[in-house]
Amino acid sequence: MSTTDGPTLIPDDASAQEIADREAKMRQRKGWFPGLSDKWNALPRQTQWLILIVVVVIAYLLPILNPPLITTEPGNNWQIALAQMSVYALVAVGLNVVVGYAGLLDLGYVAFFALGSYTAAMFTSPDSPYVHIPYLWTLPLAMAIAMFFGVVLGVPTLRLRGDYLAIVTLGFGEIVRILATIIPAMKGQVGFQNVGHPPGTDSSGQPIFLNSSGTPWYWLTLTIIIVVLLAAGNLERSRVGRAWIAIREDEDAAEIMGVPTFKYKVWAFAIGASVGGLSGALFAGQVGFVNNQKFDIATSILFVAAVVMGGTGNKVGAVLGGALVAYIPLRFTAIAEFKYLIFGAALVVIMIFRPGGLLPARQSLLAYGRLAYNKLKGAVGDIPPSGKVVLEPGKGADNE
Amino acid sequence: MTLLELKNISVHYGRIQAISDMSFSVDEGEIVSLIGANGAGKTTTMRTISGLLAPSAGSITFAGQDITRMKAHIRVVQGISQAPEGRGIFPGMTVEENLDMGSYGRKDRTKVADDLERVFDLFPRLKERIKQFGGTMSGGEQQMLAIGRALMSNPKLLLLDEPSMGLAPQFIRQIFKIVTEINNQGTTVLLVEQNANQALARAHRAFVLETGSITHRGTGKELLANPAVKEAYLGVG
Ligand SMILES: Nc1ncnc2c1ncn2[C@@H]1O[C@H](COP(=O)(O)OP(=O)(O)OP(=O)(O)O)[C@@H](O)[C@H]1O
Ligand SMILES: [Mg+2]
Repeated sequence: MSTTDGPTLIPDDASAQEIADREAKMRQRKGWFPGLSDKWNALPRQTQWLILIVVVVIAYLLPILNPPLITTEPGNNWQIALAQMSVYALVAVGLNVVVGYAGLLDLGYVAFFALGSYTAAMFTSPDSPYVHIPYLWTLPLAMAIAMFFGVVLGVPTLRLRGDYLAIVTLGFGEIVRILATIIPAMKGQVGFQNVGHPPGTDSSGQPIFLNSSGTPWYWLTLTIIIVVLLAAGNLERSRVGRAWIAIREDEDAAEIMGVPTFKYKVWAFAIGASVGGLSGALFAGQVGFVNNQKFDIATSILFVAAVVMGGTGNKVGAVLGGALVAYIPLRFTAIAEFKYLIFGAALVVIMIFRPGGLLPARQSLLAYGRLAYNKLKGAVGDIPPSGKVVLEPGKGADNE
Repeated sequence: MTLLELKNISVHYGRIQAISDMSFSVDEGEIVSLIGANGAGKTTTMRTISGLLAPSAGSITFAGQDITRMKAHIRVVQGISQAPEGRGIFPGMTVEENLDMGSYGRKDRTKVADDLERVFDLFPRLKERIKQFGGTMSGGEQQMLAIGRALMSNPKLLLLDEPSMGLAPQFIRQIFKIVTEINNQGTTVLLVEQNANQALARAHRAFVLETGSITHRGTGKELLANPAVKEAYLGVG
């Protein structure tokens, strides 16, 4: 707030350093886990993997462990709660590609989720007069259909920017629900019962994937999440991922760096849509019933809230955010009715104290940083260890 | 040899005409300056050349090829690189990531290392700060980064939109010196400036832009001596 502020470069190094430090201090963020991302990235590769494996094993054991205090019981069946949390987590991972990586505010993501649900329902439910195919086939089919509509909706709308895009996507978030209401074949509120499930029976001849048994659904979705996360990680480090980050940061600048911005925005939209479709199909299978009541705008906003809470642009944060959004109303049944109020308040609080979300995006950006560093290091040979360089906005002045 | 040629270019923002019937050319190896008051249409001209804006009339030729309808991201590959007004660096990326983005469209990855060397020679400060976030750099450093990043595509033509904006006087001189050095290394430069004195002194040729049209043209020296230009842009007269 000083009148001498302004983009002047002070010629000598000492004062320039002082400016850099001051600016870094101004940007300091208070975090709940200060330095977590730095610490994580400082760990050796093997240690990172070890920690990841432990986390994954614990995740798979969750339905059996049923940890006290954390569990949603007695209010809600814990295994089914986990299944729903995992579906929301997958939704958030998909939406994160659109909102987090490419910076496209898609408020209508529920449309793709709905498309996936209806795909699973209309090709497997006995209430549907159409061809029936095995449930598992509807997963790739749901992805393909959602992706197709992602491109169809993306091509005209992705030429719009910022607020306009948000408004248009908000509109088509409603489209599927309205179509489901007015098109007789989609059976409105009556909907489709007995949506299919993956094959397999246990020793007593009961199907493994019952609507009432959450564990197999949870394990299936968790496995899919891991696969999708690995794919997303690879995308992040690819040319496409770098292009998305650049688009999110400054679209015009990205374009004049040689990034085909429009093409990559459509890609982000389509990839996100396909994951949305996939999660919709899993949701339909687990719940076993699909009608037009489940895909409203509020749900769509909830999806965005999950991504923002978790840390826009961070895939692990998205898993966390998605799971939390599903978990909180199931765990605290007394407040479930006020969930939108609570998420609204929680978002405000998070944005004040942790504007990057629970796990800020820089963590995933660093994957790119390491890559750029290695590439440049190969090029220049010796990049100085850079004594007093500010590593992250907010990290520079930690030990004041 | 003519590198860039604009013929009867008009540019509109909706119904507002920002550029009307503008023609000029830039020869290979030149520094050409475009000076003019605020709102004269300098940035609009630059964005039209880099492809971020489409002209409503006229044609643009680059290296003998009509690029009027070519997308901006392809023009970069063809050899037009822009350091945008206000720098347009990626604030959440580090210096090295920004520079790496500058070489995004390139196929000849092996030569990227040489260009990085060149950028670090021109701007040693960038080498010292490779791990710093673009957004936390000072204004002058961001300008260096914007120019350095633009050079990472190894352009034939470098578009600089007000590189001296907001800089302290001694740094304005340094930036202009570097522009001349870049030019001496073989890159053609089209420079937009408010700082007419320096821009004209450094330029082989220059144009004065007033509300979307070119009103004066000549060598840098000629325009420096031109009484009308002196009065309007050089603060003397
Ligand atoms: N996005 C836009 N929409 C509408 N009008 C615009 C837009 N951008 C620029 N203009 C108008 O076009 C004219 C030329 O603008 P331009 O940015 O090219 O000026 P300039 O010469 O670069 O000025 P400055 O020296 O202040 O940067 C101005 O009248 C401006 O108001
Ligand atoms: Mg301008």
